[in-house]
Amino acid sequence: MEIWNTIMEQGVLATASEILRWFFMLVFASELIVDIIMKGIGIGAILGVISVAAIVFTYAERKVCAFMQVRIGPNRVGGRYGLLQSIADMLKLMSKEDIIPEGCDRVVWALAPMLLFVPSALIYAFFPFDKGAAFADVNVGVFLMLAISSQAVLPFLMSGYASNSKYAFIGGIRTVAQMLSYEAPMVFSLLGVVMLSGSMRMCDIVEAQSQQLWFILMQPIAFVVFVISATAETNRTPFDLVEDESEIVAGPFAEYSGMRWALFFLAEYANLLSVSILFLPGVVWFGLKVLAMVFVFMWFRWTFPRTRIDQMLAFSWKVLLPLALANVLFTGVGIYARQWM
Amino acid sequence: MKAYIDASLLAILKEKFPSAEYDSEATQPAVYVPAAEIVAVLSFLRDDERFAFARLENLTAVDYKTYFEMVYHLFNWTAGVWITVKVKLDHEQPMVASVTGVFPGAEFEEREVYDLMGVGFTGHPDLRRILLADDFEGHPLRKDYVQIMPPHVRRIEKGGR
Amino acid sequence: MPQTETYTLSMGPQHPSTHGVLQVRLDLDGETILKATPYMGYLHRGIEKLLESRTYVQGVPYTDRLDYVSSMNNNLGYCRAVEELAQIEVPERAEYIRVIVAELNRIASHLVFIGSLAIDLGASTGMLYAFRDREKVLDLFDLVCGARMTFHYIRVGGVSADLPPEFAAKCDEFLKVLPEFMQEYEDILTGNEIFQYRLKGTSRMTKEQALSHNMTGPNIRAVGIPFDIRKVDGYGVYPKLAFDVPVGENGDNWDRYRVRYLEIYESAKLVRQALDGLPEGDFMAKFPKALRPPKGEVYSRTEGTRGELGFYIVSDGGPKPYRVHIRRPSFINLQGLDDMCRGMLIGDSVAAFSAIDPLMGEVDC
Repeated sequence: MEIWNTIMEQGVLATASEILRWFFMLVFASELIVDIIMKGIGIGAILGVISVAAIVFTYAERKVCAFMQVRIGPNRVGGRYGLLQSIADMLKLMSKEDIIPEGCDRVVWALAPMLLFVPSALIYAFFPFDKGAAFADVNVGVFLMLAISSQAVLPFLMSGYASNSKYAFIGGIRTVAQMLSYEAPMVFSLLGVVMLSGSMRMCDIVEAQSQQLWFILMQPIAFVVFVISATAETNRTPFDLVEDESEIVAGPFAEYSGMRWALFFLAEYANLLSVSILFLPGVVWFGLKVLAMVFVFMWFRWTFPRTRIDQMLAFSWKVLLPLALANVLFTGVGIYARQWM
Repeated sequence: MKAYIDASLLAILKEKFPSAEYDSEATQPAVYVPAAEIVAVLSFLRDDERFAFARLENLTAVDYKTYFEMVYHLFNWTAGVWITVKVKLDHEQPMVASVTGVFPGAEFEEREVYDLMGVGFTGHPDLRRILLADDFEGHPLRKDYVQIMPPHVRRIEKGGR
Repeated sequence: MPQTETYTLSMGPQHPSTHGVLQVRLDLDGETILKATPYMGYLHRGIEKLLESRTYVQGVPYTDRLDYVSSMNNNLGYCRAVEELAQIEVPERAEYIRVIVAELNRIASHLVFIGSLAIDLGASTGMLYAFRDREKVLDLFDLVCGARMTFHYIRVGGVSADLPPEFAAKCDEFLKVLPEFMQEYEDILTGNEIFQYRLKGTSRMTKEQALSHNMTGPNIRAVGIPFDIRKVDGYGVYPKLAFDVPVGENGDNWDRYRVRYLEIYESAKLVRQALDGLPEGDFMAKFPKALRPPKGEVYSRTEGTRGELGFYIVSDGGPKPYRVHIRRPSFINLQGLDDMCRGMLIGDSVAAFSAIDPLMGEVDC
């Protein structure tokens, strides 16, 4: 009964880490060693979450898209529901030949997929998966997260430049234009949340939501702006101009194969998960809400056509940014009015 | 072809271009004009309001072993009548003026004739092979074209390789 | 001093949205297209030459391979040319059956157009829907002639077999569901804002441009010229059937989409009328097995799904044609590609390829 109360008070993950910490203290009896071990477990857990998410989302994406397209989807590997399809995909990707295009800039080319994975994984360090369960609960969490996620531009440009392919290069250039222009409305849409909770610490934001209304209800405009710019940030349809199979074949990924391509893939799904978590950080319904968000992104992807580059940039600067700024203004006025009352 | 151009109009054409020839006995006679006059004839047929053949529906060439024949099918949409204009070309060095100046839509068809039949066009804006590779030798639609075996096909002996 | 430089991007022949093996070289300034040059011939099989070495009747299956999405219309074009050359009178029942299958094939072909336009614009779900419904037409053809792709159903002198007894009911059923699935496209594609933004006002063409490039079919009707050979020539039993020719206004990609979309309804109307008015009688004319048309030549054209499909056949009185020339509509329509792409962005070029709707089997012949 006591444990149950602690769980309710602190959250499942925090309790689990407390128990682990207590256990390791018994074994090693040294704060430093236990700290290192705990951090190691944290990193492992985050990487585990990302890999599991990639596997689950690949399967989900296939199934969701299949159902939307009046198909059945994977139904051979692992029973009639094709549950092991993602595993089979992974094995296939790992056993594929690593083709290095002629005339590419070898070092930059090889570095790009790995570098892309770093910011996507690093963002998870600041996520409050549950009450008190954030790997690094820094007081400028939101800011750091945005700063790191914008680093994802560079690897795309690197792979575009280094692939020695015009398609890849156009894709790389497009990434820069797209991600930079969608960064701005995204930041401003998050600003409203920061203003409401009065803190940039992720755990405080979560805490604020459990006391007041959910921010999704208090900041609907910001939420919409965020979802749209998040779609652009994760390069998914209707803003998947970076990959864009029908125009520039696959953009920066065109020349990659096997595991290198799988890293791009992994980063894409890590990003998808992180943007889905971002606006709705955890209370009890954490998992469900994340899945709902992921489903929304998949829904977009399989029903919308793709925009054109000029339309997309115009939409960001002429529609989303003013909306986000107006939202900041109204939030500020609202907060002031509430204090005054 | 349903409705063909009236014989009286053909007479007018003959008056304008005395070198044009046609079989006045036939029901749907093709008008043969010399290669030098084809552009003038086609622009006359297009611009003169009695003819008003605004559409060049088809352009091709036929190899008659001793000579080539360019075939132009023109259509007057408002009146719904047709005319066939033909040009006989020398078999050794077939050359004719391009009609892309009169009918720009003939560009690809002339390139096709150049490619497959080997008829040269003077004044064509972009005369290159269109269907075959640039280094292809010969013109397959000519009657004297001999097909060569593909170079990489090896005959497999009986009883294994 | 920073300078921009133009560069060439080769789209195709291995490119997901060039509809087979079309290669287009784009001269680009950044993302803006300065010039688009199509290169074709990757699928050239020399059908014109092959037809010279086969008898007239043996030539029909080769035409299946021209525009393999609408084989019925190619069969029809070739057979009409041979019939005109050999002066074969086709029984009326065969003419009606020809209208039914040709118009059904037009529906199938336009569904492929809608699907490929959707996927070229990134809406892959739209494609699957269109292909699902095309399947229904193919099932009907399967019933009629046993084939789903290269039918060889329309023969010289008529059709290869009479319609099976259950065809009328099945076709009726298809015509009933047609408005339903068309409404689905309306919902998923036509009504979509992004889809409209991508198509409206792009690749605009004037009437003069379209006429000067000698474009035919839906491409010329999209600029507002009602040039439909079914109306202009009135071949077969088309004059007896009532149908409209939908035309566009602006000549942009949106109109090219709408014209084909509305043509599906018109084709359905034609099928319905032909099915109701189907007379009894023979389905095949009587003519000698070894067909030797008299010496002469013919240029005969029909409205293929992509425009004016013309066959020019020269006969020397022998059992084989002396020369066959095929006027392929997509081949000639491709001349307009440069005008459609100039000044547009890379994304529009893909929409432009799709909107011309070239089929490489036909272009390369």
